[in-house]
Amino acid sequence: MTPELNQLTDSARQVVAGLGLGLAADEQEAYSLIAELGWLMVSTPEEQGGLGMGLAGACALHTELGRGLATVPFLPQLLAISAVSSGAWPGQEIWLESMMSGERRVTTSLGESSLTVERDGDGAMKLNGRAVALASADCASHVLVEAADGVCLALLALDQSGVRITARPTWDVTRRLFDLEVSDAALDPQLIIAQGESASLLRQRLAILRDFALAADAVGGAMALLEMTVEYLQTRQQFGRPLALFQALKHRCADLKAHTEAAQALLQDGLDAVTDREGDVIATPEAEMKALAVKQLACSAYAAVAEESLQLHGGIGMTSEHDCHLFLKRALLNEHLGRRQDSYDRGLADRFIAGLNQA
Amino acid sequence: MSAASSQEALRREVRDWLSQNVDAGWRAAMTDSEQEAFFALQKEWFSELVKAGYATPHWPEGWPGGGRSLAEQKIIYEEVARADAPRLILYFVALYHAACTLFECGSAEQQSRYLPAILEGEIWCQGFSEPNAGSDLASLKTRAVRQGDHYVITGQKTWSTMAQYADRCLLLARTDKGERPQAGLTYLLLDMRARGVTVRPISQITGDDEFAEIFFDEVEVPVEDRIGEEGAGWAVAQTTLASERGLTLVELSQRMRYALPLIVDAMRRSDRLDDAAIRRDFGRLITHVDAACALADRYLLKRISGDEAPGDASIVKLYYARTLREFTALGKRIAGLDGQYHRGFMRGATQETGNWTVDFMNSYNWSIAGGSDEIQRNIIAERMLGMPREPRDWTLKGQGA
Ligand SMILES: Cc1cc2nc3c(=O)[nH]c(=O)nc-3n(C[C@H](O)[C@H](O)[C@H](O)COP(=O)(O)OP(=O)(O)OC[C@H]3O[C@@H](n4cnc5c(N)ncnc54)[C@H](O)[C@@H]3O)c2cc1C
Repeated sequence: MTPELNQLTDSARQVVAGLGLGLAADEQEAYSLIAELGWLMVSTPEEQGGLGMGLAGACALHTELGRGLATVPFLPQLLAISAVSSGAWPGQEIWLESMMSGERRVTTSLGESSLTVERDGDGAMKLNGRAVALASADCASHVLVEAADGVCLALLALDQSGVRITARPTWDVTRRLFDLEVSDAALDPQLIIAQGESASLLRQRLAILRDFALAADAVGGAMALLEMTVEYLQTRQQFGRPLALFQALKHRCADLKAHTEAAQALLQDGLDAVTDREGDVIATPEAEMKALAVKQLACSAYAAVAEESLQLHGGIGMTSEHDCHLFLKRALLNEHLGRRQDSYDRGLADRFIAGLNQA
Repeated sequence: MSAASSQEALRREVRDWLSQNVDAGWRAAMTDSEQEAFFALQKEWFSELVKAGYATPHWPEGWPGGGRSLAEQKIIYEEVARADAPRLILYFVALYHAACTLFECGSAEQQSRYLPAILEGEIWCQGFSEPNAGSDLASLKTRAVRQGDHYVITGQKTWSTMAQYADRCLLLARTDKGERPQAGLTYLLLDMRARGVTVRPISQITGDDEFAEIFFDEVEVPVEDRIGEEGAGWAVAQTTLASERGLTLVELSQRMRYALPLIVDAMRRSDRLDDAAIRRDFGRLITHVDAACALADRYLLKRISGDEAPGDASIVKLYYARTLREFTALGKRIAGLDGQYHRGFMRGATQETGNWTVDFMNSYNWSIAGGSDEIQRNIIAERMLGMPREPRDWTLKGQGA
């Protein structure tokens, strides 16, 4: 890690600790704070007024937010900023600036969507279909929509007719997810970010960014929770000795440590593999494979740490007073954000075999 | 030249050299082969690699083939793996354990005496384990008694890889029955041709005999062949073990990556290329192999920058060992009954050969040797996570510690 990234990590850790664990922080206040700190500018290139810290910078922040179970909907806005900043489209400058300052809020789907675009006789575009897992959509004015077939990416006003959001409370109380339903909503031609080939490339890039972000969140959460669990085992006494003295428990912690370290190492290694020299994400098949592996490993490590931690805490872990369950619920949700969980493993194998057949 | 273009140049150079020098038939030649053929092939391949400067990318600056950056080392190991070159198992201990121990703990005189000889083909073995001192290495009993300008060694070592071929041995022996068992150990370099050394190969479950027992009957070792001070052998042994647990896996994890198509071959052979359940497990394996590589690379980077911390090497080894088991178990599963029919093993091969039952059995090399998985877990829990060690006096009544 570069000194700048280390610095970013350190200061982020302090800020997140200051905000308190997930629920204690007020979502709106936290949002204003991260905007003020310039975190929304982290990945935008310098020539577009950003900090130019690329995906690595974003992942450093996601890791710390994951560590602290932060409620602030940082990722959807960051993905939307990344979309808005790419290519050249009419509203780019104004939107980019107002989104990086936090003034305008845009939400993005963190799951799969089935939106389709149709053109009517006069060439006007109409959107139909559903998207899921829009975080904190009730605080956003717009949503970044991707037509499933890659035809276009655009911003859609949430108060427009034919657009409806519905809150979908999850077990994870650190996120607030919404469904999006769209029926015959007209797309504003001024808000179309990309179409055709460039839209499908951008779509791939955003999927890579999302997978890395979720992985970083998972790595942060896994590290924090494992630390907490080891500390608990050190202090809790049974049979006249600390639980940490029992090897059966030590070995499980060691395995979780190895799993978490592997996820972190793969995440770091992946950052280099999916970015070009400027730190921008490149949408190659190799980069896509890397993102699948990174997301899959990190989320499985987080879930493993969370599942074992609940067991290792005993009864106290089952109570809502203890933070254990907050981590568990976030870890379980992380596994299911992004692509469908099983499609990560399958997708990697399919791509690997296809690559062999081509060579 | 920029770093990137000089790296590309190195990659091309290594790839070209390997394509001209690797004999594609080596795997067939090493299957069911005699020891002599194995010995000859290892010797020849080693001397060619040394001549080309690719045998020692992990050696420090100033030594032939050494002083390579992380990126350059990776390129060499990747290309060696891609070319499927023979693995230098006969020189494994010389190149890693012996060399790294000499670099870190040897005197200048010892370095200039032994390191060039390694490049000329001297074979080393590691004499740490004993019949009654495996995981509990510090309890070892082989004695070294100082007599004037030499030590006299009496005792027995076991599981010593390639000892039957070795010229020299990294020997850990007891010079003192101190308070703590670690305190009385001394690290010596022993000449395997010296009088009083007897070696007996041990037959392994695969039919191979990669390791051997060594008996010492009043063998003399000159005092100048001691590494570190008398009684400081435990610390020296830790550097040997760290190189074994971490550094060797930079190459071996790349080998595993480039062996992934073997699984696809197995799927094709058993007509299960489109089996969704197997594809899913294969996808998971790809991820784990990728992570094993990332861990080994990160470890190497830490070593280069001097940031290695206790436990780092254990993580690399534990993760690699678990992933190798997963790899070979998946191959075995896909091969089905076909994998159960006896086929002769390959000498000096990589861990992955496609002879799945043998590969599976051989994966235990990495979960037992060099400190078992359980011992690595203890190290990770105690040294990295700060969990307590169990008290020394946890013994059954009537049995002292
Ligand atoms: C292929 C191979 C090559 C080898 N090459 C060499 C070599 O070149 N030189 C050399 O010196 N040695 C070598 N060894 C020996 C190796 O280092 C030992 O086998 C290893 O340290 C384990 O010791 P052991 O076999 O005595 O098993 P034991 O120590 O008896 O262990 C038996 C089981 O108990 C477990 N166990 C032991 N202690 C603990 C504990 N504290 N907590 C939890 N579980 C525990 C172990 O993990 C293992 O599962 C080699 C071994 C193999 C398999």
